[in-house]
Amino acid sequence: MDWDTQYELMKAGRPVTVAGPSHITRSDHTRHDSDEGDIPMGLPSRDQEGGRRRADFLVDEEEVILTPLEQLTRHWMNERHAPDILPAQEDLLTSLLDHLRRQSEAVQLLREDPSTSEEEHIRIMLVQTEVERVKFIVRSYVRTRLFKIEKYARFVTTNAEVQRRLTAAELDHASRHAKITDQHFYVSVLQGLPEKQSHLDDTPLFVPPMVTEPDKSRPVFVHALKQCPRIRLPDGAALDMEKGHISLMPYAVVEQLVARGEVELI
Amino acid sequence: MALPQSLRASVIPPELELIASQQLVEIVPLISMEKTAFISGAYGPFRPPNKAKIPLWMAVNLKLKKKCHIVAPAWLNADYLQERLTEETLQLSFSKLPFRFTEISKVILDVASDDLENPDKIRSLLKDLREARQAKSREGLKTLDHSELSLPNLCSMEINEIRPYFVQSMSILTQLVRNPAPDPLPNV
Repeated sequence: MDWDTQYELMKAGRPVTVAGPSHITRSDHTRHDSDEGDIPMGLPSRDQEGGRRRADFLVDEEEVILTPLEQLTRHWMNERHAPDILPAQEDLLTSLLDHLRRQSEAVQLLREDPSTSEEEHIRIMLVQTEVERVKFIVRSYVRTRLFKIEKYARFVTTNAEVQRRLTAAELDHASRHAKITDQHFYVSVLQGLPEKQSHLDDTPLFVPPMVTEPDKSRPVFVHALKQCPRIRLPDGAALDMEKGHISLMPYAVVEQLVARGEVELI
Repeated sequence: MALPQSLRASVIPPELELIASQQLVEIVPLISMEKTAFISGAYGPFRPPNKAKIPLWMAVNLKLKKKCHIVAPAWLNADYLQERLTEETLQLSFSKLPFRFTEISKVILDVASDDLENPDKIRSLLKDLREARQAKSREGLKTLDHSELSLPNLCSMEINEIRPYFVQSMSILTQLVRNPAPDPLPNV
């Protein structure tokens, strides 16, 4: 299943997981009665996600479909390593933020309840710890994007292709950031310079462009998640990456594969 | 600034540890707990002395409160690591280890070394493995060119370790290829 289909499924509210043999499912059968109604955090049970892990530690886990958190973790790492700004994951982020809010509300309710037992406190503490972990990943992901957007703000405002990969809010931030820095440079320095040199996007001959663009030739470490279509390397050779293949190569070579989710950056 | 300077060039080890801590480990709980829904899935119920599978971060949390024992993963024992070390020193290629073995073994050795058999032996084997593999990745730098370098079986922490100078070297090689130096003047 590719990423787009997964998102469609997520939007439609269907669980994006595969059922598998599971310790949880097993214990459910034996203790069906006592466990059925006992998930206090106000959420549908996620047996399938908990039980779909690999059995053998050396088998790559990529056969299975990832949970939203695992998807975000992968996007977070891709974003951290890619020199370019990757497509925004608005739907995924929204659904995770919703989930975070529901968990926090459930914790809050249980906290206020004086009859909450000692055993409950441990569950509350664990749920809260996870909420903080997920928040950290969400924040770091958003901040990474923000960092790149600010760095390439001028480039973003002039390039329609990059703009398609940004959310409305990110785009707004980029144009405001570009505008404010432009004004600042103009007021502090540029207005005092001769007309010919007072722009931030001059393209004089033999001089590198003034607008900072992502350097797509920067090498990245790539991990193939499936058998990849043949790619052409800078020295002209062809490479077929098997599943599990790890390689260092310029980002430009694998840009398409990253976009399609066939490789991840590590 | 949106992203601190120290995080811009690369991911840092604690972040890799955070990612690795999501992997499931087996524990022997010392408390009972009903099944609970988390963002990453539903875990439990705990019925001592039955084993349960939970993410590593949760196991660490419970272990620190003395509420569980962590069952070492199948690869985290002296025999298995000794075999890998022998392989590592005999072969030229990297031996196959779990992708995040460094992070996971560090976390478990830090908080639950009393649940392991012979933790000191495991520590020294991990250290030897690390050194043997490090030497190999340094050798790999010799074969670096501007287009591609395959690194089969390299692990997440090792990649992170070689990232700065491998990326930098390859960038420089790329620049050299893109702007070749002018031919030296022909001998007259």
